[in-house]
Amino acid sequence: MELHILEHSLKVASIAKEGIQICTHGLIKLAFLPSKTRCKFFSLTETPEDYTLIVDEEGFKELPESEHLSVAEATWLALNVVSGGGSTTNSQPIGVTKIAKSVIAPLADHNISVFMLSTYQTDFILVRERDLPMVMHTLSSEFTLMRVVNGETVAANSLGVTNGFVKPKLVPRPIIHPLSSPSNMFCVTSLDPDTLPSVATLLMDVMFYSGGIKEPGASSEDTGHIRFFSFSLIEGYISLVMDEQTTQRFPNNVLFTSASGELWKMVRIGGQPLGFDECGIVAQISEPLATADIPAYYISTFKFDHALVPEENIQSVIGALRTNESAGQ
Amino acid sequence: MSGSKPDILWSPHHADRYVICDSELGLYRIGPVGSGETKAGALPLSVETAATLLAINSDTPYMKCVAWYPKHEPECLLAVGQANGRVVLTSLGQSHNSKCKELMGKEFVPKHARQCNTLAWNPVDSNWLAAGLDKHRADFSVLIWDISSKFSPEASVAAEKIRLSSGDTDSGLVVTKPLYELGQNDACLSLCWLPRDQKLLLAGMHRNLAIFDLRNTSQKTFVNTKAIQGVTVDPHFPDRVASFFEGQVAIWDLRKFEKPVLTLTEQPKPLTKVAWCPTRMGLLATLTRDSNIIRLYDMQHTPTPIGDETEPTIIERSVQPSNSLIGSFAWHPTSQNRMVVVSAANRAMTDFTVFERISLAWSSTTSLMWACGRHLYECAEEAGVGGEGTVEKDIATKMRQRAQSRYGHDMVQVWKNHLLAGGDDPQLKSLWYTLFFMKQYTEDMEQKQQGSKQALVYSGIKNIVKSSSGTTENRRCWSGSDRQTDVPRFHSEERSLALRLCGWINRGPDINVEPFLRSLEGEGEWERAAAVALFNLDIRRAIQILNKGASAERGDLNLNVVAMALSGYTDEKSSLWREMCSSLRLQLKNPYLCVMFAFLTSELGTYDGVLYESSVAVTDRVAFACMFLNDAQLPRYMEKLTSEMKEVGNLEGILLTGLTKDGVDLMESYVDRTGDVQTASFCMLKGSPGEVVKDPRVQCWIENYRNLLDAWRFWHKRAEFDIHRSKLDPSSKPLAQVFVSCNFCGKSISYSCSAMPHQGRGFSQYGVSGSPTKSKVTSCPGCRKPLPRCALCLMNMGTPVSNCPGTGHGTGKSGEKVDLTRENKLAQFNNWFTWCHNCRHGGHAGHILSWFRDHTECPVSACTCKCMQLDTTGNLVPSDSH
Repeated sequence: MELHILEHSLKVASIAKEGIQICTHGLIKLAFLPSKTRCKFFSLTETPEDYTLIVDEEGFKELPESEHLSVAEATWLALNVVSGGGSTTNSQPIGVTKIAKSVIAPLADHNISVFMLSTYQTDFILVRERDLPMVMHTLSSEFTLMRVVNGETVAANSLGVTNGFVKPKLVPRPIIHPLSSPSNMFCVTSLDPDTLPSVATLLMDVMFYSGGIKEPGASSEDTGHIRFFSFSLIEGYISLVMDEQTTQRFPNNVLFTSASGELWKMVRIGGQPLGFDECGIVAQISEPLATADIPAYYISTFKFDHALVPEENIQSVIGALRTNESAGQ
Repeated sequence: MSGSKPDILWSPHHADRYVICDSELGLYRIGPVGSGETKAGALPLSVETAATLLAINSDTPYMKCVAWYPKHEPECLLAVGQANGRVVLTSLGQSHNSKCKELMGKEFVPKHARQCNTLAWNPVDSNWLAAGLDKHRADFSVLIWDISSKFSPEASVAAEKIRLSSGDTDSGLVVTKPLYELGQNDACLSLCWLPRDQKLLLAGMHRNLAIFDLRNTSQKTFVNTKAIQGVTVDPHFPDRVASFFEGQVAIWDLRKFEKPVLTLTEQPKPLTKVAWCPTRMGLLATLTRDSNIIRLYDMQHTPTPIGDETEPTIIERSVQPSNSLIGSFAWHPTSQNRMVVVSAANRAMTDFTVFERISLAWSSTTSLMWACGRHLYECAEEAGVGGEGTVEKDIATKMRQRAQSRYGHDMVQVWKNHLLAGGDDPQLKSLWYTLFFMKQYTEDMEQKQQGSKQALVYSGIKNIVKSSSGTTENRRCWSGSDRQTDVPRFHSEERSLALRLCGWINRGPDINVEPFLRSLEGEGEWERAAAVALFNLDIRRAIQILNKGASAERGDLNLNVVAMALSGYTDEKSSLWREMCSSLRLQLKNPYLCVMFAFLTSELGTYDGVLYESSVAVTDRVAFACMFLNDAQLPRYMEKLTSEMKEVGNLEGILLTGLTKDGVDLMESYVDRTGDVQTASFCMLKGSPGEVVKDPRVQCWIENYRNLLDAWRFWHKRAEFDIHRSKLDPSSKPLAQVFVSCNFCGKSISYSCSAMPHQGRGFSQYGVSGSPTKSKVTSCPGCRKPLPRCALCLMNMGTPVSNCPGTGHGTGKSGEKVDLTRENKLAQFNNWFTWCHNCRHGGHAGHILSWFRDHTECPVSACTCKCMQLDTTGNLVPSDSH
């Protein structure tokens, strides 16, 4: 297996709901007019609390400075696991579960905080740039480390730092944050970039207006529904996460649907904002799922984390996680 | 494509059909303009061809890529890859083939929808269709479908929870289980099957090129690169593959897959299509976005890429099929260098043939060759077999012939060189005679131990007469008559010297032109002889010569008439004779006859009619001037004539300028006019010692002449020229090039020999001189350690070669009498010490030569050096060897 360290230097930011209008110009440019910017990595996720933005440095220049825009202080690098040489077995668990044991758990063991972004195409594991030597040291035994330079992959030279890294003790990881599961079902999909202009207005409506005017704090969670929408345009690939109702608004044949037409339920992690320093949260969730061989998507946002699991598995997931939760208490 | 950008596909089997695909598929037939087949709606493609639309298919929306079924039947089956990853089989036009009907509308659906980027039919097993898809986190990007497979619900339901969307009611036509799945969690941008094996598939993946081997799908060969788009195999070279990324094309050799064997110069705009020409080896066409040109790369001269680190040369050029921006193009599968181009905007098509590059090569002789397409043309100078009307031969041809006849090498009878040059050029004749007279005079002076005028003689008559002093004037009678003439004649030492250089008089104090007249008579130059006689005031002799000329074989009877006219000469100013002669003389065709009357009718001291008659040889005019112009007129005339000669580059002018700076100026304009560096080189070498030879122009002529000889492979001639040159210009002698130094003491073997002549042996005794009777010289004269051994006879060098068969007689001219001196020289050469600069093994020249007659590798055991093949020039044979 190969672990690619991508060349994007990423910023993670939060845009307050009431401040979104001052950013829309830049966001629309980043999302729909990729030829007008040099941005290669753009992701916008709407949650009931805020908009989470992950964008590379080129893209970040498009945004204004504002009190509504809070930026996480670190620069992040995206890691990507690639099967590399040789296609392996046919039935692999999908998504985060595949890399839970090989990447996420070892990083958690070394107290490295990660930020996850799953897309239709792949999973990105974001780590702080300053943690990179530690990350490389941790993962070099498991992976062939490659760095992407100018779009070309080259072998990443191991930094050769081995001193001072203590082999951590492996401890059980109880789930320490409260979980909730909204009632609506989600679709992870994509579309042909050529057809993007034809649905741009619809996407803008979904992104910026469909929530209506909401008072901060009041969320639709009361009804069991959650407002959640994610759009990303990363290296030319579009990925969308939206609930089933929203998909109905798109014309036929625009969104890519899988042959199995799968739908996903969400597990939301965190009662209060999680922050960026605590590590092991992703591992807490993904390890039990990996053990149960349940595919999942995992999307971290500025305040909370979100896991998507197949609808038919939601009960067993909740069950498994609850077990872990109680074990922690 | 995607609606706007069209693409073209040629039918794999019908050379007149192609499909254009943009938002729909259109089948066209191409034919000659106005032929019976073309209907009224034919679209003109070029001056000669037009296309007819045969069928349109708009059943498949969201087309991303199209591939034409490679087999004859069904004929027009197309696979269309769609934006959602589905691959649909469709066809154009009517086909009654049942197999086709069965396949039509069949769909191949991937588990997760994403764009289908590329399709490739397996050329051998045509049921296999490879599709390259975009990335999905949990799915494969290369799917190989078997188009003959049936939908089998049981199998697929067991594996996946298939929920076909509502549109797929006719589920019998949907296939969801591919034959092979490759490239998990990756994207595939381009695909092609490799001709090496039907189960090898080359794919341009997200960040690498990968070769999948379907015989063992767990293995793949891959190389990380950005250039992953449009992989395509050279149809003429199955191991050569092109791929591109943005503006850059990379060429790969699959046998050395680690890095591209070459990358083509980057274009500012991203490429959209790259295609090898199927009809011509190594021709790659590329198209960039928003461009109206197609760029062609000719890799014709590419050496085999294995182990060759040097970048091969590529010839790049571009063609512009039409004025509009090009959407796409496709090479015609069989017609040479032909393509159809479709415009980006309005589907306008152009039938275009790339004109073949013409490569032209001059031979070192005068012939010329050029190649165009599959034709080779040669253009040689017509062998002019004498006769009138044939074009004068090119100067290069002349120089080549002259070099072969040893032109310029006759250093004794210098004048003979003009005969070696062919003897038909009056300027060369005058030049070589002038040089001959100069040389003769110099030699006379040397014998008389009079150095004073020696330097002057080569500086030309212009300078000689300038220094003239002590001129005496006398008025002589016409010989054979008592009448006193009014014509003053001038004498001085310098003037006699000038006359000698003109060839009018011989050495000796007295002025006697009789020998010169006789030689002119001998050559049949009656008019000239008569004129010279007349100028020497011997009117009787002149008449006699003319009579002789008239009675000679093929003589001109008119000469008698001229003689008659001449005999009537009277010096009375107002006579009828004078009046008639001065007007009618201009009608005489022969310039000498003309100047004779001009002389006789001229006013005292003004001889313009003679001096400026340009058809009279310069020597004669100069000699005339030296006799009849006074000290004031003479230098002025000389000056004027010299500058005239310099202007036109007339070699006769060398008489005036000599081999001075002026002479070089004159020669320069001669070379500018004729290109004859050969004459220039030989002539100026005579101008030693000194300034003249060092003139950069002279050096340039000499070097150019040497290069010419080398180009003709006249190496022996060039060497002879170098020897000739070093005799006349000692500074041109090359320095010693090679010293052999002793392995032990490091001293040069020959140096130590010559430096210590009294310590035993002299230099001539050293082995290279090769005399077998001398004492043994098999050790270094410096340290007395033995010299290396010959790799073949294993004797120490210095040992003479024993007489071995096969080497002694050279090329073995049996039956001929053996030339003893030559034989002797050969034997000496056989003793020479030779070695290979690469492996540093060597031995006696004779032994080594005979070894390499039958071998390619070095004679030393375990040395695999191919000594003899290292220097390719060494195998060339000089074309002037005998």
